[in-house]
Amino acid sequence: MKCYSCGGEVSLTDKVCPYCGRALTETASYRADEEEYKQRSKKTKKKADEIVSGNLALIISTTAMVFLVIGVIVACYVNDNAYFFQEDARHRESVKKYEERTAQMQEYLDAGDYTGFFAYKEYHNIAELKEPFDDYKLLCKLAEEYTDMISVIESVVVYDSDAQRYGSESDVNNCYWAIEHFYDEFKYNQSDIDKDPYKEYMYDMKDKADIILEVYFGLDENGRKEYFESSDLRKKAYLEGVLINE
Amino acid sequence: MNKDKIFGISIIVNILLAIIIFGLLADASHKIKYDYVSEERIEEESLQSALDEGSYGVAAATSHSIRGGAKIPKEYEDYYRLGEYTDLLFLKEVFTKAGNTDTVTMCENRISKIREEMSDYGVLFDKIDQSVDKAIRE
Repeated sequence: MKCYSCGGEVSLTDKVCPYCGRALTETASYRADEEEYKQRSKKTKKKADEIVSGNLALIISTTAMVFLVIGVIVACYVNDNAYFFQEDARHRESVKKYEERTAQMQEYLDAGDYTGFFAYKEYHNIAELKEPFDDYKLLCKLAEEYTDMISVIESVVVYDSDAQRYGSESDVNNCYWAIEHFYDEFKYNQSDIDKDPYKEYMYDMKDKADIILEVYFGLDENGRKEYFESSDLRKKAYLEGVLINE
Repeated sequence: MNKDKIFGISIIVNILLAIIIFGLLADASHKIKYDYVSEERIEEESLQSALDEGSYGVAAATSHSIRGGAKIPKEYEDYYRLGEYTDLLFLKEVFTKAGNTDTVTMCENRISKIREEMSDYGVLFDKIDQSVDKAIRE
């Protein structure tokens, strides 16, 4: 505001004009109000301090509760995603050791040991769907079916002559489905397999699956042709003949 | 409700929350330490019973991880190696027929090594050999 006497700029808190020295009576009520507000503010602060100090323990406990609730939420998240964290860590590790891992996998492939290859891939958490291992995607998919097929077949054909056999019917079904899954996987991905850099291994895997059927189910080339062209019932009847009726 | 009651309740809630956090973190830590073989360890009883029952093929199928380089705890190693032995015998026939001569040699070496190192299991090895021979249908 301006001084009524000299027109100089004065503040609402000035008691006299700094330019002409006139007592500023017109701002007196403002200054009185300001003083009263200051007093009230002091009282409120004092009261608030008293309340706070009286409830300090409760405030600390409540604050701790808030942190604990946040902690529970974080722990739930970590707990739910623990496997993914571990998988990610192992994937990072496998990426870091890319050369070593791929060299080892190549050894399994060159040996034609696809169950060993798949076991290695599983144990070392190699994520074939992510770079830089994504080239192995189709090979791993087929190797998984191949491993499943071998697991089922060896489980049902290799046992001691004195062994108690349970669930022969489920053995037949398991065998039937394991064989179907591998050959279907191969058939449905045939065009992709032909374009895949590892196609020679996949064809070799199929040849080995054929040999397994020949060695352990007596299905030579003609036998396999007949088997795969027959109905599901006839396929199961054939497997039943081999596994149960012998 | 007076202040003291609220304070008491909050302390109890805090203790419960702390217990929950502790439990969750312990569980998460267990999950983070999870590894393929320790999970497979669940199967060790069935691996042992498969060998006891003479279901050698089941033992072979359960032991695949050892051929992928998995580290097996010492106390269970014998079961896994017996399974590996069966698995290699099963596959050797396939490799032989496929003409993978180097792989057949590797299999034979490994088979001999297992037999040598586990000479106490001679009778069991013979039974496994007979079972695989019996499974071959040519």
